[in-house]
Amino acid sequence: MKRIVSLFLTLAMLLGLCAAAQADDLPTITIMFHGSNVSDDSAVLEKVNEYIADKVGAKLEVIWGTWGDFDEKVVNTLVSGDSDVDMVFTCSWSADEYNSYAKNGYFVKLDDLIAEYGADLKAAIPESLMQAATIEGAEGMGIYAVNGFKDTATQNTWDVNVTLLNELGYTLDDVKNLGFYGFGEIFAKAKEVKGDSFYPFLVEPMVAERMVTNSIIIAGDAGSTNLLSLYLNPEDVSAEGAYGNQILNKFATPEYKAFVEKMHEYYEAGYINPALAVAETSNDTRTNAQKTADYLIGTQSYAYGYEFSADVLARGVEVAFVPCTDAYVDTTASQGAMMAISSASEHVEESFKFLALLNSDPYLMTLLNYGVEGIHYTLNDDGLVVFNADARATYSPWTNGMGNVTILPDTESEGKGFREAFKAYYAGAKAIPALGYVFDNSAVANEMAALGNVAAQYALALDCGATDPETELPKFLEALDAAGMQTYLDAANAQLAAYLGK
Amino acid sequence: MTAIAKGRRKHPTLNRFGPGAQAVFHGVLGLFSLLCIIPFVFVIIISFTSEESIRAIGYSFRPLSWSLQAYAYTFQLGDQLWRSYLNSFLITIVGTALSVGICVLYAYPLFRRDYRLRGFFNFLSFFTMIFGGGLVPTFVICKSVLGLSDNYAALIVPMLFSPFNVIIMRTFFQTTVPTELIEAATIDGSGEYGTLTRIVLPIVTPGIATIALLNALGYWNEWFLSLLYINKNMNIIPLQYLLMRMQRNADFLAKNSSMLGADASRAAMELPSQTLKMALVVFIVVPIACAYPFFQRYVVAGLTVGSVKG
Repeated sequence: MKRIVSLFLTLAMLLGLCAAAQADDLPTITIMFHGSNVSDDSAVLEKVNEYIADKVGAKLEVIWGTWGDFDEKVVNTLVSGDSDVDMVFTCSWSADEYNSYAKNGYFVKLDDLIAEYGADLKAAIPESLMQAATIEGAEGMGIYAVNGFKDTATQNTWDVNVTLLNELGYTLDDVKNLGFYGFGEIFAKAKEVKGDSFYPFLVEPMVAERMVTNSIIIAGDAGSTNLLSLYLNPEDVSAEGAYGNQILNKFATPEYKAFVEKMHEYYEAGYINPALAVAETSNDTRTNAQKTADYLIGTQSYAYGYEFSADVLARGVEVAFVPCTDAYVDTTASQGAMMAISSASEHVEESFKFLALLNSDPYLMTLLNYGVEGIHYTLNDDGLVVFNADARATYSPWTNGMGNVTILPDTESEGKGFREAFKAYYAGAKAIPALGYVFDNSAVANEMAALGNVAAQYALALDCGATDPETELPKFLEALDAAGMQTYLDAANAQLAAYLGK
Repeated sequence: MTAIAKGRRKHPTLNRFGPGAQAVFHGVLGLFSLLCIIPFVFVIIISFTSEESIRAIGYSFRPLSWSLQAYAYTFQLGDQLWRSYLNSFLITIVGTALSVGICVLYAYPLFRRDYRLRGFFNFLSFFTMIFGGGLVPTFVICKSVLGLSDNYAALIVPMLFSPFNVIIMRTFFQTTVPTELIEAATIDGSGEYGTLTRIVLPIVTPGIATIALLNALGYWNEWFLSLLYINKNMNIIPLQYLLMRMQRNADFLAKNSSMLGADASRAAMELPSQTLKMALVVFIVVPIACAYPFFQRYVVAGLTVGSVKG
């Protein structure tokens, strides 16, 4: 009797397995996005899977990485060779380092796949972005990720509270003409009118430094506190800067000294909130002051159309962004949001087909990015997207992190023609001479760690003007030298020369 | 000897100090207690502070204005909040019960001198305290081999066994349970399980309570396992992870704001406020703070009791 029952049970189990296998004949591909705020993706994925079943031949599952968790998750996934995840977000600016992961063999080289299935993709993405993604990886020179077409150029701007500026009797032209070194008189006026507890100058200290000295971020430089500078030519970003194509110790140049001296003057005069000079409170303080328009001039790393975005409009004052230079394409920006296929993936072909479709098919991109029409958004009479705030609260991925955002429809707040203009703006951006250069810091990792610690101790306070450069800057430079700045610098310059010589 | 005996007769309590010393001790310990309590009181105050006040003057014991906004917002988090809260309780209760069981069952044989493989198993658990596999191998074993992914088991199993607790428990057995007691039980005809459950366990309750407290705290405060193993099923994350995620998002955006530019500003606007985070801290701290006194009774008792009085 027992034997019969167990035989019966085994049979039932096998049948059950067969049934399950039959229902599930399409493979599942899993993609891991960055920076999303999604708690309910069921409606979207249902539509997506309906749509891609024929086109891709797979079902999609999404892991919605949040800002804070993504780095850790992606490292574990890639390093452990987890075959459950097929596609991951990658970029050049955080721990999801495209260049080093590709070099270490975690990403699939895509060149053959692009040749075979990538015609639409190539048509949808500018050639320059393909070039920016072409690097020396584990399997030789090639493309190891699909590069998203987003705000692919860097542009730093003065974020001006125009309403207040006009109240004080100044105009935007004054801001442009006076420049950073001449802001003092406007600040003094603001302080006089708005009282002592008002801080007119709302800086992100590190950004302000780059804006004023016209230096750029070197991809591969120490993370949160950059140590290296490459100077731009502010008149023509595609030409060489004052120092040529040479990387410098950011803190040892006369430009830097002049900047921190002026910042110290502004700080001493009470134009800068002391909370900005403390790493823990700096960002919160800045966002809060921006939110409530409690500032006169700030810094903002700009993306086209930012002035029309909801959070700027919510400030309730007229805001203008005054650029310091033209938008320029550098390595950091041109590798800003990419999607790579993990070497551990068992569905490389389907994954690539999906990425190609996502970046070239407006319906799919809109669906994944904005949600389902009728649930997450509706189209108004002009055909513009109007978001349904409630549904959007459970489904808001990071728009720019997904891929080609130029094929998205215009939203109501952006206005008609926005995406076209956006596309033209970035397609027309000039490249800096050293575009594509990435500093491989693996040989000087120890120096970098030591230098990073030194910089963390001094840089923020100096950049913010909180400490006196007269006494602190020499100490800082000395400490950097002792920590091996020259070795670090030489390594960066040798690689740059080799890169440009190629 | 006689001096002490005399002293004892004069003062009923042997360890009495002069009033000066008493004052100093009270002062020091009082100060220490304040140091422990003040941050928590501060957290509570911040959670009731209005956003405007924080924007204007930052954190303060005397905010410009009060507000219930943060708590109103936590209730708007709705399902996710209560589900996570429930998950926290579930994980803590199940995890603590299982891990205490495993710890006792592992430590008991290690304490028995007549157990042949004692040395080997002692070494086996001790070894893992010195040499860990590291994060990635652990991740591979848990995820690929044990299938701990997107399920409650992933939040409980990795913390089930703690060699440190085994050592505490074994030592507790050694110091409180005399071998004679076990021999006596055997002679009286008690089987191994009977001896453990009826003779030994009642004696070591304080030790078990200590381990249970440590484990409960561990499970209650755990968020990293959720980060590692929960990818798609956000219905099972505990409250701690919900809070940590907010905190980590804010940190990430702060660190990368210059690279992310407008995107970071946009995302930062969507982040929950400082007061909300503090309100969640209150939610997290209160239950475990309430549970503490119950355990404390046993922990204190553990210092004094034994089965054989000298």
